[in-house]
Amino acid sequence: MPFSELDTAAVARTLSQLGEQPDDLIDAFFERREELELPPEGEGPGLRIRREEGFAVRLVRAGQTWLASRDGIEEKSFADALRQVARALPSLSYPEPLLRVGAPAPAGAGRELFEFPAAVGRAVRAHHAGFPLRLTVRRHRRWLQVVGPRLVAAAEKEAFYSCAVESAWGRYGVLLPALDGAAAEAVAAAVVDQFRARHAAPPAPFCGVLVLGPEAVAVLLHEAVGHTLEADVLAQGGRAEAAVGVALAASCLDVLDDPAAAPAPVRRTTDDEGLPVCRRWLLRAGVVEQPLADALWAATSPALVPGAGRRGTRHLPPAPRSSHLELLPGETAWSALLADAQGGLYVPAASRGALDAQSGELTLHFPCARRIRRAVLGEPVGACVLRGRVGELLARATAVGTEPRPAGAGWCAKGGQKLPVWATAPALRLEGVALSS
Amino acid sequence: MSGSPRHEETLRGLLRCGLPEAELFVKRGRTRRLAVSAAAETSVISQERAWAVRAGTRRSSFFMAGTGEPPEAGPWPQPEPGPLRLPEPLEAPPWNEPSDFDAPLVGEREGLTLLASLGRELAAELPGARLEQAALEDGSSEGELASSRGVRARFRHRIATLYLEAVGPGRPGAAAALYLAAREARRFHPSALARRLADRLAVQASGGPPEKGGGELLLAPPVGVALLAALLPLLVGPGAAARLAGLRDRRGRIGSELLTLVDNGRLAGGAFECPIDGEGVPTAEVVLVEKGTFRQPLLAWWQADGAAPGLPSGCSRRPGWRDLPLPGPTHLYLAPDPRAPVAALLGEVAHGYYLIDATGAGSFDLAGDRFALPVCGFAVDAGRASAPVARVVLCGSIGALLKGIVAVGRDLSFHPLAGMIGAPTMLVRGLELHGAG
Repeated sequence: MPFSELDTAAVARTLSQLGEQPDDLIDAFFERREELELPPEGEGPGLRIRREEGFAVRLVRAGQTWLASRDGIEEKSFADALRQVARALPSLSYPEPLLRVGAPAPAGAGRELFEFPAAVGRAVRAHHAGFPLRLTVRRHRRWLQVVGPRLVAAAEKEAFYSCAVESAWGRYGVLLPALDGAAAEAVAAAVVDQFRARHAAPPAPFCGVLVLGPEAVAVLLHEAVGHTLEADVLAQGGRAEAAVGVALAASCLDVLDDPAAAPAPVRRTTDDEGLPVCRRWLLRAGVVEQPLADALWAATSPALVPGAGRRGTRHLPPAPRSSHLELLPGETAWSALLADAQGGLYVPAASRGALDAQSGELTLHFPCARRIRRAVLGEPVGACVLRGRVGELLARATAVGTEPRPAGAGWCAKGGQKLPVWATAPALRLEGVALSS
Repeated sequence: MSGSPRHEETLRGLLRCGLPEAELFVKRGRTRRLAVSAAAETSVISQERAWAVRAGTRRSSFFMAGTGEPPEAGPWPQPEPGPLRLPEPLEAPPWNEPSDFDAPLVGEREGLTLLASLGRELAAELPGARLEQAALEDGSSEGELASSRGVRARFRHRIATLYLEAVGPGRPGAAAALYLAAREARRFHPSALARRLADRLAVQASGGPPEKGGGELLLAPPVGVALLAALLPLLVGPGAAARLAGLRDRRGRIGSELLTLVDNGRLAGGAFECPIDGEGVPTAEVVLVEKGTFRQPLLAWWQADGAAPGLPSGCSRRPGWRDLPLPGPTHLYLAPDPRAPVAALLGEVAHGYYLIDATGAGSFDLAGDRFALPVCGFAVDAGRASAPVARVVLCGSIGALLKGIVAVGRDLSFHPLAGMIGAPTMLVRGLELHGAG
């Protein structure tokens, strides 16, 4: 761990000099990141490595936030950042705590990156298909340490992979906790689905039954539940805590955010503000129970609990975001989900989603789908779009599958902060929803 | 020009590793970010210090980037298959650095005052309207580029961006957003921006789909820019000529006499004005389409191999140190007519629509020659606005758009999309307006 030699006590003592009022929130955020990228075959440069480290010092006082961030971790720039956050004159100097961090590992690619494209190719062929693919695979690693004047959180580490596949008929991207055989099969299955739907016409606009596979549910949950219940989004319509107790969804939906239950390589015990994460019930039987809040928003109401502060970069302050959403399993077996969906569509995955926070309008794009005929999956159809207001769509959920599956929901770029988001979900059936091409 | 001794040593170290193609990019920057939302005020000051190396041979290569100072002696990763070619040094034509490059970043109080006055002006223009979010960023950077081919260049950049999200009166109020860029934060004028937001909010709140959707269409710069940005694949890279082939008429024209498209990396006053591009190649003005006739695509030095028509220009953009240089526009614009005020164009509209803004992402099928872009504006009768129009989609064929331009105004304005994209007000015939959904 790069921060194991960091003198956190000295940093904490220095930070304590910034505090003037009892409610002041002060912290220092240290991070190191590494991204290894293997581009598609034959594309140069043949290996791409990005490494960075730096820190940010933050002071929150009476609803105002001051943040100073720097690339590199050095004593002098740390003292300078403290001075900027305190808005002190340049002549005033702050102590320079010793900031010793471990050296990065030697620059080199993990072999698993090199083996993955071939593994995906083999898995595609196992589906009796073969077509050219441009596959980019990346390994992402991040280490972080948050220090406050009174509490020092444990250092955290995240490691995961992302994979993007481009073909003549579309693009597919996914986050993966590991690059194993199951990951190769999941990528292959998704691109083969797109391949088999390449000539399929988009479905005619219809209002009917839609069965979402776990990966599509993950995107739905992220947009419709995660973003909707972020304290800063809720506050755009009034008081954030007023959402507690509102029936937002059908009673079959129990949705939690639990960073501690995420896939092992990205599991967290504290958030990006150094506060303990919790198993947060966002929806219990469709009713809002605990919105997502960071320390800043939690200070505005006792009904909001911190622990969901995330930051995409040290150069921006944290904001309330989900990490790992879970839809608790229901009692409807896969066969029963399809049995009551005659004439409907099955969508295995969503390529992207967006929530308009002002109007509550949600849009989910599906690259392909399958018709449901006589309780089995039928012929493929082309790309389609689900649109509707969050409350109306979530109220249309009628059945939840019994088998939850880890499904990386993908990258979220709200507010310019790009963050990986994860989900564990079973399949879900929506009835009476409108789909367009 | 010679590089700094430390950077020269880094290059020599790469050569000693058997990497004849080597390039070092070093960048330092500082940014002030001020953000205001309903609940919080944030002030961020960031300092960046980073480098990037591309190195290898014509067969294998790597890209490595990191924070801090570039290592003089590595260690460097093993190059992986994938070619790397670097440009030869070229003399850049004389260029005088603009004086505003030396202007200090906007101060905290100054920036917050600008945002506060925007909020006040908006409320004065449209009582009950408010800024939901406002973020002002002002940054400057300087850097060096050195390569084993002999490129030695220094560059500076200065850019400010402003993001505004506003909500109109009523519940739920109409919403509108603006994203702008200029060289300095001091160039944003609160009253003009507030008027623009208020217009859009008022139109969205009171407008509806038109009864008849044809006639002459006056497209304000934000609409023209959204259309032009979507057409970039037809203008960039060696494949552009083939992609445009279907749009040529019998005389070889793709657009009307008034269609002249230019890209210019050294556009005086432009937000990205610079004498060199991200690979150290001199920037220049390139006419892509002249009076409706396609002249050449935008080509980076390595794309001009004789297979595609046209000369290369310095058009490799490098948004940040983490990014590889990629060909793209810097300031790409539709040439304005300096003798045509917008009022005169409006006066020419006997019956039609004045579309003031794009209200969402459009769908563009370049191969199928169709597009649809959600917009808002006014119905126009006898040169006067007669009713607001909203929840409408501007649609038609791309050929009809390019060939249907019958007049252009003098009010060229740029918006930050893929580079800075600019358009003046355009009077267009042959497109249609339909109600959305």
